[in-house]
Amino acid sequence: MMAAPIRLNVNGATRLVEAAPGSSLLSLLRDDLGLTGAHYGCGHGACGACYVLIDRRAVPACVTSVEHAAGKEIVTVEGLAQGDVLHPVQQAFLEEDAMQCGACTSGMVIATVALLEHTPHPDEDEIRAALAPHLCRCGIYGRVIRAVKRAAR
Amino acid sequence: MKVPVTQPARSARFAAERLEQRIAIGRDGRVIARSGKVEYGQGIRTGFARIVADELSVPVETVDIVLGETDSVPWDMGTTGSMSTATDGRQLRAAAVQTRTLLLDRATTRLGTPSSDLTLKDGRVIAPDGRSLSYEDLVGDEPLTGDIPEIAEPGNLPVPAAEDRPLRLEARAILTGEAKYPADIRLPNMRFGHVLHPPRPGMKLIALQDAAAHAVPGVMAVVREGDFIGIVAEHEDALFHALHALVAEWAPNPVAPNAAYEAVMRQDEGVESALSGASLHLKAAYHAPHIAHASILPRAAVADVREDGADLYVATQRPFGLRDEVAALLGLSAGQIHVHPQMMSGQYGRGNTEDAAIEAVRLSRAAKRPVQVQWSRAEEFRLSPHRPVFDAEIEAGLDADGAVVGWRCAVRTNSYIVGSQALAPGVPEQTAGRDAEPPYRLGQAEISLRVEPGDVPTISFRSLGAAPNVFAVESFIDELAHAARQDPVAFRLALADDPRLWRVLEAVRTMSHWHTPREAGRGLGVACAIYHGTYIAEAAEVSVATDGAVRLESVWCAVDAGRLVHPDGARNQIEGGVQQAASWTLLEELKVKDDVVISSSWRDYPIATFLDAPRTIEVRFVGDPETASTGVGEPGSVPTAAAIANAVFAACGQRIRRLPIAAALLSSTHSGHDAGPEPAA
Repeated sequence: MMAAPIRLNVNGATRLVEAAPGSSLLSLLRDDLGLTGAHYGCGHGACGACYVLIDRRAVPACVTSVEHAAGKEIVTVEGLAQGDVLHPVQQAFLEEDAMQCGACTSGMVIATVALLEHTPHPDEDEIRAALAPHLCRCGIYGRVIRAVKRAAR
Repeated sequence: MKVPVTQPARSARFAAERLEQRIAIGRDGRVIARSGKVEYGQGIRTGFARIVADELSVPVETVDIVLGETDSVPWDMGTTGSMSTATDGRQLRAAAVQTRTLLLDRATTRLGTPSSDLTLKDGRVIAPDGRSLSYEDLVGDEPLTGDIPEIAEPGNLPVPAAEDRPLRLEARAILTGEAKYPADIRLPNMRFGHVLHPPRPGMKLIALQDAAAHAVPGVMAVVREGDFIGIVAEHEDALFHALHALVAEWAPNPVAPNAAYEAVMRQDEGVESALSGASLHLKAAYHAPHIAHASILPRAAVADVREDGADLYVATQRPFGLRDEVAALLGLSAGQIHVHPQMMSGQYGRGNTEDAAIEAVRLSRAAKRPVQVQWSRAEEFRLSPHRPVFDAEIEAGLDADGAVVGWRCAVRTNSYIVGSQALAPGVPEQTAGRDAEPPYRLGQAEISLRVEPGDVPTISFRSLGAAPNVFAVESFIDELAHAARQDPVAFRLALADDPRLWRVLEAVRTMSHWHTPREAGRGLGVACAIYHGTYIAEAAEVSVATDGAVRLESVWCAVDAGRLVHPDGARNQIEGGVQQAASWTLLEELKVKDDVVISSSWRDYPIATFLDAPRTIEVRFVGDPETASTGVGEPGSVPTAAAIANAVFAACGQRIRRLPIAAALLSSTHSGHDAGPEPAA
């Protein structure tokens, strides 16, 4: 495949990567950079399992091209904790046990970080709207809403 | 493929187990406990750790639970039926009790203190004078071994004061992205594989042009074994270019369908005369469509097949079943196959068949290196087996006091079991027929079951037949209560003889403020069930808009699951079961055309989102801690459909006899109230 080197800023470090034009950020993160916290769930940006932060906004990595992400600040779920200290949003999810199988959790954590960045004290409707793209099959929605409220305190 | 029957394990099987198979004390003092069950979000790793920690008086964080690793855990039938805590939890408790006994014996010898004077705390045995020995010191080079005596549970054991804090041993790994699901596994020399699936299951490959696929740079192998075609490539781009370059010609390969299975689950004398002589007679039919497990992560697996063995990194509910299946496929012994269950997206029965893992095995064998297979979302919908379709016809007669004097129920559905045991005598009754018999006095009753081949492949699904059976039965009980002009909770209480069922019904009546009138357009419905020994009642409140849109506002659940191991974990399971079942009930239906599933995306198959989630799902546990633990993984999902359907009737007067509700209400003529079938007398 033709590959042009692309400079990516991922979790605070600069990575020089090779990617075919139009290839997805999700594949690059998972296959080339070993960051598997964002999951493949549908490939259409329709389930929320692959969200990452790009310039502090939550976006589906599966439908984001590597070129689009170049030069921007990319943060994955692996980049949130400071050493052993969880990010306050991670800590809130832990304290509410806002998860079961965990397949959707990283996407929801990313979405919550972005939400609270722009809306530090969301009401319940704002939380539901912000997290609506994130599907959970285990049925964890109520606990996540509580976790977001906890993180916003 | 063969899926074992879901039934309570017999204690006889445990008699052969030895302590050293279950619990060991490491040199660092950590406790290692082993189970053949697997974790897919239901929290059994944490629950098992809690059981062992309680009995051994160590912090839960110092217990390592090994799950489903076929080389090192005792054989297990599969993680199904909400049985893990009731069966393997009990066995781990017995093993921990024996560990405690042996530690005390050794400490008695070493310290010269009678064991009745010794206490265990934080991994040490302590004498009254303050001398103490650590567990690892007591074990030293002589591991604790021997038989595991039966325990009476809970019996004479102290009831641990299980603190109700949220706890999940995998939480930190999940939250930081360190948790590894099968798709996250990266082995040295691993390559990517994918199978070219026929347009419909079981078709025969009659011609294949694969030269163009071979020519795609990065393609390592085009594998053809009979009707199986797959590609292994250096990277996924090459894989999908090559797949598209394959030209395959398929032909139908008709196989004789399984025979239908018919069983009479209950046949009392004089049903016909009881029905015809009743003062009130009702009849109704209920339908539930095929629905999908819809795990968030589509199936993925890694297989590393070598000449002398194979390692599998998979999501599976039956590691030993997969091990045996792969051993047979490869012509190796079971001991040469090593199954390593990974973190798993919620399975809900889907993990009882290992299609992607078998594909990975075949491709790895051909490519002679580790191969990862990752299904797409569309493949997950189109190729997966799904929940059987369900139809039931029920009729009943009431006497003048509202007691049921006659009951006839005919259930027609597909098999929840795959393989040679599917139609073995008794199996359909225990699976498709689960909870078809309501926990009430029915007078003279006849309950029959017909399991017939489906239009699409079907398999086990959370609670098996219980959720659809209880939808039909508890909806019909509501219709009877209404026809008898009785309160639906009072009507059930009067029909039931079991104090544990009364207790959950009474609790949910209180929790939901059952007798407080709701505003116009809102309604409350109730339903209950007994599922593998767990008692559950749910009340649902819905609002129905003038355009027919239904919103689930609140759900209250009262649950008696005996002694709780981890109350917050149990609550999470019940909440999740309710939320998932609300999604089935309100929204879900697979689209099937010409015997092929055509739903292929979340757009075709919407499930509940944050916008649909009810304001509250309140769970209260009302069980007796002196009663043995029963399961909580499935019960929450069992009464939900009927509770919601009954609430819709209370809100707008329309009976729901077909699921999903959204489709049923939007397609109705809005002709106003529907008081149910006309009383015959």
